Amino acid sequence: MRPEIAALQDAMETQGYIADPAITTALFLAKEMRRPLLIEGDAGVGKTEIAKVLARLLDTELIRLQCYEGLDVSTALYEWNYQRQMLRLRLAEHEGKHADEIEDLIFGRAYLLERPLLRAITRREGPPVLLVDEIDRADDGFEAFLLEVLSDFQVTIPELGTIRAEHIPYVVLTSNRTREIGDALRRRCLYLYIEHPSLEKEVRILHARVPQASDRLAAEVGRFVQALRRRRLSKTPGVAETIDWAQALLRLHSEHLDRETVEQTLGCILKDQHDLHEIGGGELEAVLAEAAG
Amino acid sequence: MRPLTPIPSPIPSQPPGEGRPRPPQTANLFFPPSPGGWEGMGEGGQGGEGLILHLARFSRALRDHGVGVSLSDEADGLAALTLIDLGDRDEVRRALRAALKIRPRDVAVFEALFALLWSARELSTANLPVTDPRLAPKARPRPPTPAGPRPNRPPQKPGIEIALPEGEEPGYSPDAVLRRKAFDECSTADLLAMERLLARLALRLATRPSRRRVPVRGRGEADLRRSFRRAVAHGGEFLSLARRARAIEEPRLVVLCDTSGSMDPHTRFLLGFVLALRRVARTSEIFAFNTSLVRLTPFLKHAGRVDLVLARLASQVPDWSGGTKIGECLAAFVAVHLDALVNNKTVVLILSDGLDRGDVAPLEGAMRALHLRARRVLWLNPLAGDRRYEPTARAMAAALPYIDRLLPAHNLESLERLLPLLAA
Repeated sequence: MRPEIAALQDAMETQGYIADPAITTALFLAKEMRRPLLIEGDAGVGKTEIAKVLARLLDTELIRLQCYEGLDVSTALYEWNYQRQMLRLRLAEHEGKHADEIEDLIFGRAYLLERPLLRAITRREGPPVLLVDEIDRADDGFEAFLLEVLSDFQVTIPELGTIRAEHIPYVVLTSNRTREIGDALRRRCLYLYIEHPSLEKEVRILHARVPQASDRLAAEVGRFVQALRRRRLSKTPGVAETIDWAQALLRLHSEHLDRETVEQTLGCILKDQHDLHEIGGGELEAVLAEAAG
Repeated sequence: MRPLTPIPSPIPSQPPGEGRPRPPQTANLFFPPSPGGWEGMGEGGQGGEGLILHLARFSRALRDHGVGVSLSDEADGLAALTLIDLGDRDEVRRALRAALKIRPRDVAVFEALFALLWSARELSTANLPVTDPRLAPKARPRPPTPAGPRPNRPPQKPGIEIALPEGEEPGYSPDAVLRRKAFDECSTADLLAMERLLARLALRLATRPSRRRVPVRGRGEADLRRSFRRAVAHGGEFLSLARRARAIEEPRLVVLCDTSGSMDPHTRFLLGFVLALRRVARTSEIFAFNTSLVRLTPFLKHAGRVDLVLARLASQVPDWSGGTKIGECLAAFVAVHLDALVNNKTVVLILSDGLDRGDVAPLEGAMRALHLRARRVLWLNPLAGDRRYEPTARAMAAALPYIDRLLPAHNLESLERLLPLLAA
């Protein structure tokens, strides 16, 4: 293994992110090749966290663009500051300025509101980490637009002209795979698929993130969640849920899992009515038995 | 499923220094040779040149097994390999997975081929999970898998859903009865009532609002940006507010309708349905096929009563109610019309019972081409309304891997269920 990759792994670990070599290798390559990293995987496996950890490691700003259906340029890229424009317009009127002059005045950089994408490429203090979260939620039209920004790292604003990137940002895209990401965008990126962690990794994550949890509790929680994932659930719990749950158990001063505590706190890991009903009913004993080892 | 094809060695095995002069070692620029690992394998060239060849060979093997790897991916792969420890097998594997963008569903094939290539074992003894080459990569969305595929699972056939009618719903209305009545049991009176119902249904065809906002007059949200431009033009006076609203995306349909004898009881309805759809989705194209393919769209310009239109259509199609050559007809469609009529916004609707005794090879080729290009390929099969139906007819079975949905089309209810799938 390249020492840099091992070092990255250690560094991520000190930040509380237990990464396996697949994650660190992909992240290392994305960093070195200056390519966006597209991360896919089920909800709660730690996709978003990678961008956050990367920003901390590089000691830079994390700029986040949360995608949703109907996301458009004015939310993602830039918007004019209409209130300020309006005030300036009134003022200019009193000054008796010519229309052309006014136009130049109010369509200047000072009246531009930077949204995440524009901010990511105009940051002066060095390259930020740009997190484009849940890109699968935006529609394919936006994907095409994003592809354009990510290829050239420049943005054209009709009233203002072209703005080039000061520094090429580190880009992380995440997707929950609710739809397939277009080929063109995927080809632009390096690709990482994160699976649910193994038991051993999950217990290590618990130790790192919930250090107060005893070895016994962490192991039991880990085994319980792993046993749950082997079942057919409509929403499989991710690591995020495991961590929440361990924290909840600590608050309740539970040192180990018993039926009563699990029943009380099952909502931390199962977030679907049907799953709760299914597991909370007859299945719980079986899962507990598996968790007991 | 096809058997494993050995990975062809790109280099003739010749001792160095003999025979042909070796090609120049351009890729040594990338990095110096190191012992063992990736470069040590096979009888390929030295150093970077060997690396490029190995990578090219590996990519080709991936492509041969249905994993989409483009030239740009290969370039990424090469760039990635220059950054890592080539002696570390797992690191090479992980780097290539990231750089070649191997999706979970392709992981099994990737891992198997990688193991083969790395160890350069005898290919004949290898036991490789083979992806169906018909699962070739596509640049189009697939239906999401709820739990995320497990990488160790062997590749499988694409999930074809056969939507069957659900159980009886409570309540009674004449419409409800009509909706469930099979087409081939209908009386003439039923037919007319059905046609009216059909027209109403088609109007409900879901139209998706576009993400794009377009300027509109009168309604919609204020478009401040355009308003400001206008105000500036009027010396800073807001005389009127510009408005914008989300555009409505019309669905785009291509319908291929089987008019052979075995489809006779259904053709009338399906075409009636298609004609009704056309009032909503104006950009639809209609073709009929039996032993040859006929484009019907030009004959639909003068709309009128459905039965008159149908009669006119029937007169245009040679061998109406005759035999079928599904494969040849679809291949003809692909050859002549695919580029112009089908894009990633098009829903292709095939109405056929899939009963055809001809060669399945042209059908398979045509279906693959359609599948790669269209937004969605739906196959309406009147026979699929029967719960005991299984798509085992040879043509149907061959087409199955390329169909997004196989749906029944024996009554109005089944057509109603189809509507959301036709939306743009």
